[in-house]
Order: sequence, then C-alpha cells, then structure tokens
Amino acid sequence: MNLSELHALLPLLILGVGPVLLLLAGAFIPGLDRKRLNFIGGAVALLAAVVAATYSPPVTEAGGMLGTGPYGRMAAFLAGITALLTILLSVGYTSRRPLGDEEYPSLVLFAAFGMAVLGGATSLLSVFLGLECLTLAMYILLASNRGDFLSGEAGIKYLVVGAVSTAFLAFGLALVYVATGDLSLAGSMKGLTASGAFGPVGLAGWAMLLVGIGFKVSLFPFHLWAPDVYQGGPAPVVGFLSTGSKAAVWLAFLQLALAMGGDWGALAPVLWVMAALTMVYGNLAALTTNNVKRLLAYSSIAQMGYVLMALLAAPVVGGTAMLIYLAVYVAMDLGAFGVVAAFSTRDRDLGDIESLRGLGYVHPVRSAVFAVCMVSLAGLPPTAGFIAKFGIFQAAVKAGYVYLAVIGIATAIVSIYYYLRVVVNLYMRSPLEKGVAATAGTLLPRLDDANRIAFALITAAILYLGVMPGGLLDLIGGIAGGNDGFRC
Amino acid sequence: MGIRQGILLALVFVPVLAAIPVLLVPSGRAARLIALIITAFELALSLVPFAVFMQPRPDGWLVRLDLSWIPAFGINFSLGLDGISLLMAALTAFLFMLSVLVSWDAIRDKSPMFHFMLLVMETCVMGVFLSTDLFLFYLFWEVMLVPMFFLIGVWGHGRKVYSAVKFFVYTFTGSLFMLLAIIGLYVIHGSQAGEYTFALEALKSTHVEPATGLWLFAAFFIGFAVKVPVFPIHSWLPDAHTDAPTAGSVILAGLLLKTGAYGLIRFGFPLFPEASAAYIPVILAVGIIGVYYAAWIAYAQEDMKRLVAYSSISHLGFVVLGIAAWNEVSLAGSVLQMVNHGITTGALFIMVGMLDERMHTRDISAFGGLWSKAPGLSAFFLLFIVSSLGLPGLNNFAGELLILVGLFKEYPYLAAAAFAGVVFTLIYLLRLAQKVLFGPPATDAEFHDLSPREAAILVPLAILVVVIGLYPRILIGPIEGPIKALVSPVAAVKTAGATPQAATAPAQTAAADRGGTP
Repeated sequence: MNLSELHALLPLLILGVGPVLLLLAGAFIPGLDRKRLNFIGGAVALLAAVVAATYSPPVTEAGGMLGTGPYGRMAAFLAGITALLTILLSVGYTSRRPLGDEEYPSLVLFAAFGMAVLGGATSLLSVFLGLECLTLAMYILLASNRGDFLSGEAGIKYLVVGAVSTAFLAFGLALVYVATGDLSLAGSMKGLTASGAFGPVGLAGWAMLLVGIGFKVSLFPFHLWAPDVYQGGPAPVVGFLSTGSKAAVWLAFLQLALAMGGDWGALAPVLWVMAALTMVYGNLAALTTNNVKRLLAYSSIAQMGYVLMALLAAPVVGGTAMLIYLAVYVAMDLGAFGVVAAFSTRDRDLGDIESLRGLGYVHPVRSAVFAVCMVSLAGLPPTAGFIAKFGIFQAAVKAGYVYLAVIGIATAIVSIYYYLRVVVNLYMRSPLEKGVAATAGTLLPRLDDANRIAFALITAAILYLGVMPGGLLDLIGGIAGGNDGFRC
Repeated sequence: MGIRQGILLALVFVPVLAAIPVLLVPSGRAARLIALIITAFELALSLVPFAVFMQPRPDGWLVRLDLSWIPAFGINFSLGLDGISLLMAALTAFLFMLSVLVSWDAIRDKSPMFHFMLLVMETCVMGVFLSTDLFLFYLFWEVMLVPMFFLIGVWGHGRKVYSAVKFFVYTFTGSLFMLLAIIGLYVIHGSQAGEYTFALEALKSTHVEPATGLWLFAAFFIGFAVKVPVFPIHSWLPDAHTDAPTAGSVILAGLLLKTGAYGLIRFGFPLFPEASAAYIPVILAVGIIGVYYAAWIAYAQEDMKRLVAYSSISHLGFVVLGIAAWNEVSLAGSVLQMVNHGITTGALFIMVGMLDERMHTRDISAFGGLWSKAPGLSAFFLLFIVSSLGLPGLNNFAGELLILVGLFKEYPYLAAAAFAGVVFTLIYLLRLAQKVLFGPPATDAEFHDLSPREAAILVPLAILVVVIGLYPRILIGPIEGPIKALVSPVAAVKTAGATPQAATAPAQTAAADRGGTP
C-alpha cells in the first residue's frame, strides 16, 4: 500500500481510528459525560461523511480490497451519515437508558466502519471482513440495554442467527473462490459466468451467499429473527440495524450482481420468488401486529422485497433505482425509529400502536415526523418514498419483470393500511382514557436538540427529495455509471 | 416565462405556499382570514383567462408552461390550460372559497390545521386539472388523498376514521394500478421512440399492442372510475361524503369526482383510442347501471347527506355515459354536467350542512314544513333540488340534454333508457323536497332563517344555476375547440375500429397528427 492509497482511505481511517480514540478518551479524560461523548462520536461520523463526499482521492482502489472511487466514497458517506443520525437520535435515549457511556458511540462508529468496508468492498475478503466488523458491533449494541430482558433476548437471537448466516456467507465465498480461483470481487464474479452459465460449484457458492445475505437483510424465508430482534433491541440501535447495516449489505450485493455482467442466469427465478414472497409476507404480517416496533420490522422486511426487485432488474437497467431506494429508505426508516426512540420512556420503548393515540396534538413535532416517515414508507407523493418506489417500479418494468411489479403494486396497496394506522392513531383517535393518556402524554420525554436536528435533516431530505429528486438522481446515476460494470 | 405562465404557476402554487403560514398562525380566526383571502385571490386569478386570453395557440392550448423537472426520468413540469381545464380550475377556485366560508363557524377545532389541509388540497386539485405531464398529474392525483384523508378523519362526524380509511384505500388501490399502467406506457414509448418521457402529447403517439393496450387502459379506467365513482366501485363514496365535514363533502362531490371524469377525458380515452373503443360497452353498462342503481338507493335514504351522496353517483353515471359516447355533443354535455353537478350538489351539501347545524340531525323525518318557518332557506333548497332533477331553464337540464342527445346519436336505445333514468331522479328528489319543505312541521323548535353569511354563500350558487341554465353558451363556448380536438383522433379510430390492427395503426398516427391542430 502506498501513500496515495492511504490518502484514499481517509474516510475509513476516520471511522476506524475515531472510535478507538473515543474509547480512550472516555477512559482517561475525566468529565466527559454521555452527552459530550455522543457529541464527539457524531462529530467523527460527520467528519468521515464530509471527507467522503468532498475529497476525491487520486486512486480508485486501495490494496485490491477497498474501492475508493465514487462507489466506495458513497458507501463511506452513507455509513458516516447513518452513524451521525443514529447518534443524534440516541442522545436523549441514552441519557434515559443504561446503554453505556463511551462504548455506545464507539460501537456505532465501529459498525459504520464495517458498513463502509462492506459497501466499498472490491474483494471477497473485504466483503467478509466488513460484514463481520459490522455484525459484531451490532451484537453488542442490540444487547446493550443492560438489565432489560428483551434487549438481551434480541442480542442473543441476532447473535445466533448472525453466526449461522456468517457461516453460510463464508462458505459461499469460499466456494466462489474454489470455482474461480480469484478473490477479487469483479474477477471472481465474472469468472463464475465465464462459460456462459454457472458451474455447479459456483452455483452452490451463490446459493450459500444468498442464504447469508438473505439473513442479513431479512429476506423471506430468512426473516424470522427480525420482529423479535426489532422489538427487543434499543430503538435507535434497531433503526441503525434496519437501515445502515442492511444498506451496506445491499451495496455489496449490488456489486456482486453487476460484476457478473448482465445476467442473473439461473438465479433469476430464485430471486424473483424471494422478492415476491418477501413483499407479500412482510406486508401481510405487518397488518397483524399491534406493536409499533414489530410493525416497523415487518415493514422493513417488505421494503427489502422492493429492494430485491430493483436488484433483480439491476443487471439490465443498472443499479441507480436501487441505490436511490436505499438512500431514501435509510432516511425514512431511521426517522421512524428515531421517533420511536424519542417516544420511549425511561422504563420501556414505545409499545402498542394504541399508545400513540392523540399524540399528534400533544407532541406535534415528533408526530409530524412520524407521519411524514409513514407516508414516505407507504410510497405516497410528495415524499422521497414515492420517487424511490416509482424508480423501482419503472426499473422492474423496463427490465421485463412486469408480473413482479404487479405483485409489488398489490402489496403496496396492502401496506397503506398499516402505515395509515399509525397516522390515524396519531391524529384521529382521542386518547383511550382521559386521565391515563393525559399523564402518558406528559410522561413522555421532552424533545432534545440533537433529536430536533436529526428530525429536521430527515424530514427536509424526505420532502426535498420528494419534490426535487433531480440532483440525487443525477449524482447516483453518475456514480453507478462511473463504475466499471455499471450501466444506467 | 410570461405573465400567462405566471398565472398558471400561481394558480397551482399560491395555495400551498400560503398553507404554511396558515398552519403556523396561532389563532383560528387569522387562519380563516388568510385562507379566505387566498381562495378569493385564486378565484379572481382563475377568472382572468376568461377575460383576457381566450385566443388559443396553434396547438390548441390557451397557455402552456414547460419546465425541465426530473430530466433523469424524462419528467417535465408542464402545465396546460385549455377551455376544459379552465372551467375546472374556475370551479375549483369557486368551490374552495365557498368551502372556507361554509366552515367559518362550523370548524372551530384545530382551525389552522383544517385550513392548511384545505389549501394543500386546492393546490392538488388545480394541479390535476392543469397537468399535461402524466407523472406530474399522478403526483397531484395521489397527494390529493392525504389532505382529504385528514379532512374526513379529523373533522368529520360519525364513523369518520372508518370512512376516511375506506376512502383512502379505495382510491389508492385504483391509482396504484394506474401508476403501473403509466409506467408501462412510459417504458413502451421509451423503447419505441428512444426517448423516455411522460409528456401527454408524446405518449399519445405511442403504438401500443392491442392486447397490452387493453390491460393498460383497464388500469387507467379503474384508477379514474374509483374516483368518479362508477358502479360497482362506488361504495366508499356514501361513507366518505356522509361523514366528511360540509367543506369536505363539497370538495369531494364538487371536485374530486370531477377529477376522475376529467382524467378519462384528458388521459384515458385520448391515450388509448383503440383500447377504449373496445371497452365502450362495459363503460356504457356501468354508466347506465349507476344511473338507476344509485337513484334507487337514494330513494331509500333517510339521511339527507347520504341521499345527496347517492344522487352524485347517479348524476355521474350520466357524465360517464356522455364520455363513453365520445362525440362532440355528448362530451360537451359531460363537461358541462361536471361543472353543473359541482355547483348544484355542492349547494345541496352546503344546505344540508346548514340544516344539520340548526337541528343537529340530517334525518329526513326530523324535518317538515320548513317553508313556513324559514322561507328564505327553503326557497334556495327547492331551487337547488329542482336544478338537480333537471328542470328546464336551470343548469342541469342543459348538461343532461346534451349528454342524452349525443348519446342518442350513437346508441338510441340506451339514450332512451337513460332518459327514463331521469324520472328516477325526479322521484327521490321530489320526496326530499316534499318531506323537508312541505307538510306539517315536525317540531316546534325554533328555526333561524339564513344568516347574511349563509345568504352570501348561496346567492352566487343560485345565480350560476340560473345563468348557466338560461345561457349555457358561456360554458360551452370555451370548451368547443378543445373538445373537437379530443374527439377527432379517437373517433377516427372508432370508425376504423371494425378492421383490426393493421388498418388502425396508420389511422391512429394520422389522427394523432391531426389532433395537434384543431
């Protein structure tokens, strides 16, 4: 590795060294309270994001492992922003909960580091390393609500499922290496289909990869862990899990897909069925639950189905639609979990959907953000969610997956019901019992400034991109087009 | 961009820009006042074109505005004003101003938010009537649901949440399939022309395979038909209209239903001349069933608001028949009837709202002998009732007559059946008049006649009812040109429709070329 490669890795270095220094600072500098530590963590994440966005490095790949071109920078930027928003949304939450002092923001940053490595990976090895770094941090974060039984359960469940899926993933990568003798992402994937179709070993490798990835991004039938983990984990952590970690896996998945060069081959029907079932299952299951976090879990599963539809179309029409969807999804889903975190008291997270009743007029800011996020997740204009869904559907139709698009539309219709339930409870139901709700309203924590900043950023992004998506479309279209193997 | 384009932009965006300060003002009074000023400004603005620029451009539009918006997807921000959309825009501005006035006393709770929703709604409805880019149209079309959902769900009565969700789910279902069809058409056009665009004019020239066209038009038709609403997908309407606040009912009946019919006229038929011709029997059937079925049910209603709601379905059945016949006479009748229905039914909903405010019930049996107690109010009520049942000399007569004449040209028997449907209308509306206005008073309760504010709302409506009835030309004049331009391409396909694909394809392109110049 030479010096220019080191320069190129600057955002990653910030995300990697930052949390180490933060841990040391927490241990050795007295007087750093939780708020300040979170603040420093947020600053580190912001710095990484800004560097990734503005600094154009001289080389586009470092050490044959990490892309530092537009795609890698986008991954690092996404990681930094997601971490920043997560930390901002956690400031109030961590002041009420025993989530730890310096270790909390550090772990979020470590996870973001993993995200950046995974999303920008150009080698099978760095895919694995990034994923492991990300997942290890998530294990701890999910269980970090010490003394809370559900949080512990969430951590264990995610650990077991995560370990199994990692095993599948590692085995899959190994098989791909066996089939091609190449560890570089582009080379190995091209090698798999060099003879026109998958060889048996390569196909087995991809099957293993699909299982591993399916677990990580909660695709049907590998989704079962999600509702329990989402319900038990601390709300901001779950938000990060649902957006950042999934987005990074998708970024790598897209790289793998596009590197194969133009065709899913034998995998297409499998992905087709998985996408259809994920959309159907996620949206139908979300109808049945009354718990807000479980509802968001099923919603997140369903959303992954839409992303998979875009990925399926990506070899034909390019990855732009999927990347847009991911970016928008990060904003809106993180916003939703942020509101859940902001509505969570000292004792427990926001539970029943009924507990939202009438809050729209007591806590207008949080409720409005929640409503905007729900409307966006439902894919209604004038929010970014609409533009993103539109992009996905037009990509699917362009690529010829018309029936899948029809299924997607039908399930999107179903989804409107549960997204509206949240809005209905916020604005159209009077509180259950006068006395109880009145106290419930006042017992809810006050909104702190960090929360306000995060909400303002998220809402502004959702509404601005809903009305003026041109800039982002061009930017991401450029990134997708500028990378080898990408077509728009 | 000249002053004319500026007027178009202002028509669409002034309400939503004003909505933000309305939401933030602390007092309901200030919110009401700002909303009234803005809606009055919009009304004035929508009347400017009538006075100033009625001379169409070579391409048939009065004003066009075309701005690049999302080039990556080939989406333009393009608005267009012709006679049809001008009438609709003026109706929109008029009814929104009335909605603010109607809610003056009725909406005291969360008044700023109410007027915020109202103004956002106005932007969306204007946008729907003025868009000439399918994506932009769809955007407004879909956003429209959200403020309406809040208007019903927060300020409604009865089972308001149920009705609001039902309204949302029904219309959302229809429109999402339409979205898919829009995307389908966009992709087909893009693969043919090599340029992806949502511009209405460009998409009209797309050559769609007949089988695909049938699916695409079906999706469009369902999207529009839910809003119209057409039997059998109308069942959201009685609930939504009944449980909405008066302003909401006025907007729903007066404008939202019109967006569906307008969509068929502007997009549905012109985009798919062949496929729409194939569906005409179906459309005629659901139209005529709607006329009878809704009238029949309206007769059985005890709730006045529900009665008026069902009467809407019946009246819109006529509009659908006029659209399906697709000739210059019937189409002019349909557009005229859209405006008339907006005025008359809007007025009826407003009056039912006034009765409700006085008696706190809308049950027909709770009223009676109103004429002796409140002659002013009763006179207006009777005027709007007879207008609704199509008394010659009043507005609805002109529209219905044109529709029936146009229909008769194409389908004489069906026109005869539709004529008979008018009798049904007569029955339930006369029953309403008789039970409420005449006979012995049902209660001794005191009953105020019209207040000055209420009179100020009703007088302009009554004037329009009479003026349009006596001189419908003021409305038909502006729409003649655009309707000609709409009719000829589709009619060309219809006449060539007997021969299959090979013959119709050149006819369609030729017609599309002709369609540009009226």
